[in-house]
Amino acid sequence: MSEFLLEIGSEEIPALMIQPALSQLKEGLLELFEDNGVGIDALILNQYSSPRRMTVAVSGLPEAQPERQEIILGPPKAVAMDDVGKPTRATFGFAKKNNVHPDDLEIFNTTKGSYVGCRVKHAERPFSEVLQEGLDAVIAGISWPKSMYWRRSRFRFIRPIRWLVAIWDGEILEYELEGIKAGRETRGHRFLGQSVLPIECLQEYKSVLRDHFVLVDEEERREKIRREIEAETPAGLEVIEDEALLGMTCYLNEFPTVLQGRFNEKFLDLPGEILVTVMRHHQKYFATQDSSGKIQNFFLTVLNTDDRFLDDIRCGHERVLKARLEDAAFFWENDRKQKLEGRVAELARVTFQKKLGSYSEKTERIRAICNQISGEATLDQAARLCKADLTTETVFEISELQGVMGGLCARSEGYPAEVWKAIYEHYFPITVDNVVPSTLNGAILSIADRIDTIAGCFSIGIRPTSSSDPFALRRQAQGIIKILLEKKLDLSIETLIEMGFKQFEIRADTTVDEVKDFLIRRIRYMLANDRGIDYDVINAVLGIKIITVSDLVRRAEALQNIRQENDFSSLAEADKRIRNILEGRDLDQSTSVDPSLFETQAEKELWDYFSILAPEIEGLLDQSEYEKSLSLMARLSGRLDQFFVDAMVLIDNDNLRNNRLAILVKLARMFRRVADISRVVRFKD
Amino acid sequence: MTLQELIHKLHEFWMDRDCVIQQPYDLEVGAGTMHPETFLRALGPDPYRVAYVQPSRRPGDGRYGKNPNRLYKHHQMQVILKPAPSDVQEVYLESLRSLDILLEGHDLRFEEDNWESPTLGAWGVGWQVLLDGLEITQFTYFQQVGGQDLMPICVEITYGLERIAGFVSGTDSIFELEWSPGRTYGEIRQREEFEFSKYSFEVADSDALFKMFEIYETECGRALEAGCVRPAFDYCLKCSHTFNLIESRGAISVTQRVEMIGRVRNLAVVIAERYVSQYE
Repeated sequence: MSEFLLEIGSEEIPALMIQPALSQLKEGLLELFEDNGVGIDALILNQYSSPRRMTVAVSGLPEAQPERQEIILGPPKAVAMDDVGKPTRATFGFAKKNNVHPDDLEIFNTTKGSYVGCRVKHAERPFSEVLQEGLDAVIAGISWPKSMYWRRSRFRFIRPIRWLVAIWDGEILEYELEGIKAGRETRGHRFLGQSVLPIECLQEYKSVLRDHFVLVDEEERREKIRREIEAETPAGLEVIEDEALLGMTCYLNEFPTVLQGRFNEKFLDLPGEILVTVMRHHQKYFATQDSSGKIQNFFLTVLNTDDRFLDDIRCGHERVLKARLEDAAFFWENDRKQKLEGRVAELARVTFQKKLGSYSEKTERIRAICNQISGEATLDQAARLCKADLTTETVFEISELQGVMGGLCARSEGYPAEVWKAIYEHYFPITVDNVVPSTLNGAILSIADRIDTIAGCFSIGIRPTSSSDPFALRRQAQGIIKILLEKKLDLSIETLIEMGFKQFEIRADTTVDEVKDFLIRRIRYMLANDRGIDYDVINAVLGIKIITVSDLVRRAEALQNIRQENDFSSLAEADKRIRNILEGRDLDQSTSVDPSLFETQAEKELWDYFSILAPEIEGLLDQSEYEKSLSLMARLSGRLDQFFVDAMVLIDNDNLRNNRLAILVKLARMFRRVADISRVVRFKD
Repeated sequence: MTLQELIHKLHEFWMDRDCVIQQPYDLEVGAGTMHPETFLRALGPDPYRVAYVQPSRRPGDGRYGKNPNRLYKHHQMQVILKPAPSDVQEVYLESLRSLDILLEGHDLRFEEDNWESPTLGAWGVGWQVLLDGLEITQFTYFQQVGGQDLMPICVEITYGLERIAGFVSGTDSIFELEWSPGRTYGEIRQREEFEFSKYSFEVADSDALFKMFEIYETECGRALEAGCVRPAFDYCLKCSHTFNLIESRGAISVTQRVEMIGRVRNLAVVIAERYVSQYE
């Protein structure tokens, strides 16, 4: 068995791009192996990284690629032969190109049609040749969010590639990319390690680099940071957890070392939110707090070096943070000199979107939507002030503080909690994983702001596409769904959309429908991904009118829980028949069932049992007890099946037929109070 | 090390690496990138190496000489290497060593920071260089200037001189920096900071500035028509600075802002096109 190590040495790769690119590199190699007849399950594959390198090490590769035959397809049969079946010029051209005699060509039938083609024999060759041929495409195939070129070839990569290590079974693989010859020399840490560092084989790769202050194992870096954060946190304090920041520092440093620093206590007068954001956003520092959650004047930072000169380095970091905090303190003091009330007028000068007007206009629309949802005076006050912080210098400098800053100002101006908290929280949830507003006012304000953005953008033709979503409309919609669900708001999405569009003059019904579809797609996504609901169950609950999102989720979960039960599966099957029979018939929903017209025992038994169960089921449905009501309904399935066996529904006798249809109408109406259960597919065991 | 020594050492360092040592451009600019030695030389096929100090004015950053970390006018050391050599990062780090910075004893990182100048129709990818958490340099591989794709690609190294001097001397305030032995930065520049801050925020006549902008814009067009690319570029720079003043005066709405940036960019793009066509 053979082994292979590939290291792409680059100038510093942006931290968040390393992991995704490395995965692509690995996948690309696996695909190359697979395309060349290697069973990839038996391979042992490791990936390594640092800001300056991406590495894949594979063992278990074959030494040689055995002799093999390749089928090369040429022109389609219709083009390859003329009317009388003689080869055309295209065919001769193809034969010549592939160095085969035209008589040796064959017809190959593929799923796309018939083609003329040939079989080409490849002799056995060293497997390393596969790599020499395929690496270019694998490396060029990595896609980056923003790439560059640096040579005349206009080859694109994230940053210039500066070295390549390619070792096949201990030997250098002869390979060249963009003027760089692959060798066995990697590079250690820029200042602590050796700049030219030979690697003999893949087993020693990790340890050689570790000796030269590069931890190439991502897990090892992460663990070191975690461990040292714990050790460096002053006793009695805790670090504010931040997985995203931890992940980033893990890819920013070749040899991460955690350093504790502190700042002057006078800055603790600043709101904790500002302190944390300045440390995190500007400097990538971890903040600390005491057990009551109050921010403390200690921070932790992750360095790209070892621990020999910590005092000097600490001095530098503390000086930078001091300057940042002085700026923040200056903004915070200055911003509070003007009241939020006074800033509201200035919003007329701040554009939200060219066609949708200024933030002053947006504010008025948000207020109108809020007023339709709740008459709370405090909510209206919050809505009026919610965008005022956009004119503060603090938000101009640190945009992550929008909303929070407004809330803090409102609090310091003495507004009640119902007002300042609503402003503070109205951008929550910032991402799908974040918390929703804790207060009802905050929740309504957030929804109003979002539906206004969505309705506005759709009405002027801005829609999210797979490649661009400038107003983050998907995230806005997900936020709405999450809030409606978690705050159990009694508000249907139709009503909400209606409220959103009411504020715009331009409006077309198709746009309203589009927004509804857009929100429903987000609901589907949420049900499938967050709640694990099956697609047919989602179709079933969306097959009837949606009341509220939280009610919809209760229905879906009830249906999901009961779907495996045999009785229910039969009921769903039977409902399919009912739907087929009733479809296209304009039946009077109120026609009552006349027991005197029953001719079969099955009809009588179904109806009697239904009459017993119905009041209880209806009662449960009134209390939204969907699962219990479904399991009662499922009890009807035996009698319903018997009914379909014994009693023909569509018979010539008008009275009998209408009576039997009336039974089905009543059943269907009851089922539909939970979902269109006919859409639930029978489980295959 | 005084500020002037630091500048002297960097000049020496880059002179030894085959750079033309240029002088600052004699017009108000916001960054060293606007010096024709960068903007125009980055265009076209000719190799070039140049280094110069560029005083850079950012009216909006003025703080009346009272904030220890912000200035109306700061100084950049700008280096352009065209084409970018393959050991450019190492050479740059060497230049820090020439300032007696012991790199093994510090926390140095290249963190992603992609530079973009909407007014110049220019962008590139690169990093900010952080030394113990302090941003001391912008490092950029230009990809486009004046809307033109570049080839060969040049690298731009922009040192923040006040920042580096502060780091080396360990002073807390820019104004305490020693400019020359016995003379502080504050003595030499603080009054200037105050006056220019006051002018940009309180005194400048925005109506007059709007008129100047129009005049410069028109004159830029006239110069171009006569084939005077470089004089046209001067007026483009004047537009840019005038726009910065208008903005710091708070006399402009967001929409107007976008519109004016677009007008300056249009000038820059036409100038770049004309400049490149001289090579065809």
